[in-house]
Amino acid sequence: MKFTSKLFSLLALVMLCFAFTSNDEGDRLIGVWQPSNGKAKVKIEKIGTKYYGKIVWLKEPNDPTTQKPKVDKNNPDESMRNVPLKGYRMLKDFVYAGKDQWNEGTIYDPENGSTYSCEINMKDKNTLEIRGYIGVKALGRTDVWKRLEIKAN
Amino acid sequence: MKNFTLLFFLLGCIPLFAQTDSVNTTQEDEDFSIYENATSADGKNITFCSPKIFDLSPSRFVSVAWDHQMPYNMKLSSLGKYDDGTTINNYNETAKANSTGGLRLFANIPVISSNTFLWQLGGNFWKTNYNFADVKSPANDSSLIQNIAKNGLTTMGLHSTIFKPLNEKQFLLAQFAADLSGNYTLDNPQGIRFLRYSASVLWGKRPNDRKQWAVGLSRTYRTGELNYVPILLFNWTAPSRKWGTEILFPARAHIRKNFSARSLILGGYELDGQSYRISGITTAAGKELELRRGELRFRMEYQRQILGFIWGSIQAGYRYDFSYHADNTEKNGRDFFRGFFGTQQYAMINELSGALYFNVGIHLVSP
Repeated sequence: MKFTSKLFSLLALVMLCFAFTSNDEGDRLIGVWQPSNGKAKVKIEKIGTKYYGKIVWLKEPNDPTTQKPKVDKNNPDESMRNVPLKGYRMLKDFVYAGKDQWNEGTIYDPENGSTYSCEINMKDKNTLEIRGYIGVKALGRTDVWKRLEIKAN
Repeated sequence: MKNFTLLFFLLGCIPLFAQTDSVNTTQEDEDFSIYENATSADGKNITFCSPKIFDLSPSRFVSVAWDHQMPYNMKLSSLGKYDDGTTINNYNETAKANSTGGLRLFANIPVISSNTFLWQLGGNFWKTNYNFADVKSPANDSSLIQNIAKNGLTTMGLHSTIFKPLNEKQFLLAQFAADLSGNYTLDNPQGIRFLRYSASVLWGKRPNDRKQWAVGLSRTYRTGELNYVPILLFNWTAPSRKWGTEILFPARAHIRKNFSARSLILGGYELDGQSYRISGITTAAGKELELRRGELRFRMEYQRQILGFIWGSIQAGYRYDFSYHADNTEKNGRDFFRGFFGTQQYAMINELSGALYFNVGIHLVSP
């Protein structure tokens, strides 16, 4: 019994350490990034073993028609159409595959409500190539995202 | 000890539960204001204008369509004598075209697609078959109606598009196409000396996400024959995001009504044409007929998403005959430039009455 308790304690400790440590190679993706169109800023973070990116800033935060904060009005799921875009997870489920590449993820385009397969390649520590594609990588488009620094006030 | 074990275990599981919640929900309490002043980490310019604006009809990777013109009358006339004094067509041929149309395939695949350079390469295949009734034409090889009734008209081509953003607002756009059009069949195609080349170059601005304009020059066969024309691109979307324009004048101009991100309707016109080498009709020593087909199509087109990236379109309108004239051109394939002010005479001046038409297609659209 004593041995079992120790084993569980050890296991729990390992899980705790695993959950709260984030210093592996793939974590270089974590940070705030800006797509080349300059219309948004996206914060990439790690949840569990996967990487997710949410919109944290919009160049045009309000809908010009309603003057209210933009919502995900083009989402094919009607129940999501009132969800604010700020805070929206547009990058999902990325896994670090090694060699500066993250894959198995998706990217969502709020402009048309479409979700694309996506692959991320890090060209240097401040530059990402994000390729959204349909089915095969040849049918896609690559955008270059740059890392942003948050300046202290 | 047991309590500590349980506590550690539960603490260890917190991030796993959090993962599920945070993935499926999109909102968290976070101070977004800290990102207002976030700037480029390496200080380099990062913004380039996109080739698109809001709510444009989706560009297509692959397209399969069927084009069909309803009945109309065709009258082919003889212009008279040629350089050597002979006449090509002693008869004024007439016929009723019961139907005209066929398959239209199109592909446009990105070779390089990044925010600083876009290069797309594609191909197209158009088949136009004719079904005639009440044909009055000479019973010999000089009948154009009998010739096109037999083989139809075929166009195969390659095209390339380059979009180069210069900065956040300005861009260059270049297009090039090489088309082989004629009365050939796939098992007996024409030689590449009959290729007809089109190209256009534009410089433009994209002041915001709802407006894009450009001016340039084009070498085109859209009127059926070679021409050099200035062109104007003007794509615009209203602040309401419900209306807009898609204009590449003079090739096409449309008003757009967006019902949603997944359906829209376009109303306007397109100038559609090719120059077809008609092999088998010798007009004079060393010369052959070149048919200059140019159509002005006034139309409405409804497009909507069918499933995912598969879109469908249905188009209906009126086809006005801009040109169905024919020229006497060299057998070696060389074409000539008449333009709007040239004095070269046509070999045949032909008339097609207007016709209703429709086009249905299915498309794989791009991101």
